[in-house]
Amino acid sequence: MIEARGLTKVYGSTRAVNDLSFDVRAGVVTGFLGPNGSGKSTTMRMVLGLDHPTKGTVTIGSKPYNDLRWPLREVGALLDAKAIHPGRSARNHLLAMAQTNAIPAKRVDEVIELVGLSAVAKRKVGKFSLGMGQRLGIAGALLGDPGVLLFDEPINGLDPEGILWVRTLLKSLAAEGRTIFLSSHLMSEMALTATDLVVIGQGSLIAETTVDDFVSSNTVATVEVRSPRIDDLSTVLTAAGAAVTPSSDGGIFVTQLDAPAIGDAALAAGIALHELAPVKASLEDVFMELTADSTEYHATTSGQEPS
Amino acid sequence: MSTTDLATTDTATPPAQHGHAGVRTMVTSEWTKFRTVRSSWISLLIIVVMGIGFAALFSAVFANHWSQSSPGDRLQFDPVRISQSGSFVSEIVVGVLGALIVTSEYSTGSIRTTLASIPKRASMAWGKAIVLGVVLFVVTEITAFASFFTSQAVLLASGGKTLPNDASIASQLRLAHVPVLSITYSGVAMAVFREAIFLTLMALFAMGLGLLLRNTTGTISLYVGLLLILPILAQLLPSSINSHILPYLPSNLGVAMSTVASRHTDWAGTLVGPYAALGLVVLYVAVILGAGIVLLRRRDA
Repeated sequence: MIEARGLTKVYGSTRAVNDLSFDVRAGVVTGFLGPNGSGKSTTMRMVLGLDHPTKGTVTIGSKPYNDLRWPLREVGALLDAKAIHPGRSARNHLLAMAQTNAIPAKRVDEVIELVGLSAVAKRKVGKFSLGMGQRLGIAGALLGDPGVLLFDEPINGLDPEGILWVRTLLKSLAAEGRTIFLSSHLMSEMALTATDLVVIGQGSLIAETTVDDFVSSNTVATVEVRSPRIDDLSTVLTAAGAAVTPSSDGGIFVTQLDAPAIGDAALAAGIALHELAPVKASLEDVFMELTADSTEYHATTSGQEPS
Repeated sequence: MSTTDLATTDTATPPAQHGHAGVRTMVTSEWTKFRTVRSSWISLLIIVVMGIGFAALFSAVFANHWSQSSPGDRLQFDPVRISQSGSFVSEIVVGVLGALIVTSEYSTGSIRTTLASIPKRASMAWGKAIVLGVVLFVVTEITAFASFFTSQAVLLASGGKTLPNDASIASQLRLAHVPVLSITYSGVAMAVFREAIFLTLMALFAMGLGLLLRNTTGTISLYVGLLLILPILAQLLPSSINSHILPYLPSNLGVAMSTVASRHTDWAGTLVGPYAALGLVVLYVAVILGAGIVLLRRRDA
């Protein structure tokens, strides 16, 4: 269980994280979603006691990270998979990490096996592909068999098979009752993996909800319609209370009237329909809409983001 | 590859309520890190080979030129200092090792993993300092004594004669053969011992600079500057001023530390005494390493 309360981080004149409060509960995967540069990594570093909050607190099981006796046995984290000395072998890297928390060497071999790196365990990390590096980072996070796991963009650089593997792994870790906090800027990934969502933009909380609620409460039902008499149809639908906007290829997008109602209205007016397609807003669209104002990189701005 | 593997692999980890991640576990981990990177061993090999090699080379040169040596050269000649000629290389190597033990973690980003593993940051730094200090103490002591015995053997083989225990420095002027100091000569063993202590302390000094600057290039540049460039700059000042500066620079404190105490004041007016030098180097290390640890605790990783 991770609890953030009024978490704020100011770098110079930039508010990287602004009065952020959220809970991450055990037993499900909680997605931590925000555009690049929205403060996800800064927040993760504050959870791990690496960056000191300007204001506010964050605790793990009601303790600040720095008060944990054996942190790796309670919290596992994958921050930057490539942050390993390139001249050291994967096994020795994990061994050195394990020794900091008195984790036996036997466990090192177990996690290497678990992430499927046994064949390359003795190879230098510098020769690893990005995908192998991610697997090694995940092995490091699992080393202490912790109840709380943080993953910062874990699928970066993974092939489709690897992505599927991470997704399955995260879900089963959550099913074992662990707390999983997964950051990503990829909505589609969240839709497939996460149950709960913490959404931030420009360092501030936008939503703390579930994936399902997030989509349904933020989606406007839209229907795409085509007809040989599109102008007449538009007039009819507008009269029936719908909002109509032309699409780029000669059709129209209709909101505030659902597909059956549109079909009935067309029939009543004697207008043929060539297409009547409800458009399902993806999580991606919802997310883009919600964070449109809070992405720091508008074409017009030139803000610097310390991340 | 399911996580049932994970659930059933409850390990024989020591119980969570006992002990904590700290200096002791950091030392174990840091030793693993040190020994599993090839450059560590190459650096240590350079210290040993250069130390013994330069001792043999310089001893041979001095022994063979003794008959043509000027009175000044003869008065300055110190068999212990000659045996430690390689220390000018070692000073740089120990500095690089000391810097890298910290800055390589910043350049790769692994410092975050390390600090997340040992959140008590001072413990993290002490763990590194202990491994660095112990490894270099062992290697530089072995090198210093091996270099001394090598040097002594070369001098004797080139016609040198061992000085009696009560020999004055002035008597070196009249010697027909290059003088040799036995390890049993009063203060010789301690001078050799202190040379290695100096190198070990300088590694910790560089580690402190690394904690302050967190950058390999900057740390090594500053270290080399303080050790090699600063004395050159100080030499450019009028002697009435530089005599108040030169003796206190790290490089000259190193020379002072490896000087035989009883032979010291006769010729080395520009150096402080060997134990005063030791005290000053310890002070420098304490200030820099202390400041480094204070900043490590305050700054974001």
